[in-house]
Order: sequence, then structure tokens, then C-alpha cells
Amino acid sequence: MNPSLFPTIVSITEDEIDLNILLDKITLTSTGAAAIFTGMVRGETSRTGQAQGINYAPHETTYLEYEAYKPMAEEKMLQVAKEIREKWGVVEGIAIVQRIGKLYPRTPTVLIACTASHRDTGVFDAARYGIDRLKEIVPVWKKEIMPDGEEWVEGEYIPKEGE
Amino acid sequence: MHKIKILLFATMRTRAKRSSLELEIKKDSTVAELKEILVAEIPALEASLHHTLVSIDREFAFDEDIIPENAEIALFPPVSGG
Repeated sequence: MNPSLFPTIVSITEDEIDLNILLDKITLTSTGAAAIFTGMVRGETSRTGQAQGINYAPHETTYLEYEAYKPMAEEKMLQVAKEIREKWGVVEGIAIVQRIGKLYPRTPTVLIACTASHRDTGVFDAARYGIDRLKEIVPVWKKEIMPDGEEWVEGEYIPKEGE
Repeated sequence: MHKIKILLFATMRTRAKRSSLELEIKKDSTVAELKEILVAEIPALEASLHHTLVSIDREFAFDEDIIPENAEIALFPPVSGG
């Protein structure tokens, strides 16, 4: 297939993320591998550390509430896909989906999938880059609701000119 | 003077207790000047302004950038999706 016709799907949605439908859309006859990352709501955090600029102790999460600046978010997802294609020309299909709204533990919240002809083409790295980049430049935020209160999670990445 | 629409998200929306507002700004105002006007209008935003991101027409913008007429402006904290 002409690379300019390779499928790119980006979406901010309140609906459940359906991996099978997305995979079908990014699988070509030349595809032999898909690297898929999905993140879900973690109900119990046992690790102490730092995430997105906030120190956290072990705690429980009741649910997360996501919001997005949808038109900009979808444009920035297209930009992430473009960057993936510039770095990994072997990537065939790309799907980037962020679910928003009220999401409970064990629920998938985000999915990034990249397909390629073979698994040793860098396709794993491409998907990894996609989720890392989404967490830097795609305008989506989450509020964490815990048994004893709630708090907006704020990131720490400051985009530069042209990002 | 021209009128612009400003969208607020996440912490900014919560602090301002609204998701959008309209402001009159002078022609060729910069993002930094807009922030000053905004704080005068909504003092509750001052505390978060130092680490607020700004977009103009859905592209990241910076303090020295000039705001075009009819621009869609948004203010929000560093992103935390995923």
C-alpha cells in the first residue's frame, strides 16, 4: 500500500475502547505485528514515588474523571502520529484513543497501537513513544477521586515553541 | 480593542468557577498582557498562572506571542492524560 494511505485513527471518546475494532482498522494485508499499549485506572497504588510532578504515598483511587480540550487534543494526537511516522517509517497503521469521563478502577483509559510488517521493526518503540508523547502534549487532564478527597492531577511537561 | 474567547480547563476551570469567558483586549496584545487582564478579572487564577499553558487556535503559545483577532484562546495546567 502507498504509505500516504496508511490508516491513522485518533479519537477522544466517552465510549468504551474497543481494541478489536481499532486493530481491524489498522491491520493491512502486509501487517504481521501490532504493538499495543493500554493504560487503565489503578485502584490501589502501592508504589511510593513521583508521577506527573506529584509525590504520592500508597493510596486508593475511587475513580478518575477525565476532561479534554477535544479539538486541540485530536490535533495533537495527529501530531504524535506524524512524529511516530517520521521516526519509524516502517509503521503501517496507528490508533491513538483517549477515553474521557468518569472511569473506575480496571477500566482502560487510553490505547495506542502501531502496526508493522514484523515485530523487529521498532514497532514496540513506536507505541512507547506514542504514549510518552501523549502524556506530554495532548491536552487531557484527570481528577483523582479518593475515599477521603479529590485532587486534580497536573503534569509537569512544558511544551516548547512548535510543539 | 477586540473581543476574544477564552476557554479554561481542569484546575483553571475549577478555580475560575467557569469554563469560558470573553474579554476585550487591545489590538496586538501579547499572551503575557492577556494573563494580566485575566488575573484582574478573576483573581483566583493568579496562584496557578505561573505554570499555566496557553494555546492560541489550538497551538501552544508563549508569553511574547501576539493574540490575533478572533483567536480561540485556552488556558490549562500541564497535561495529565493517559
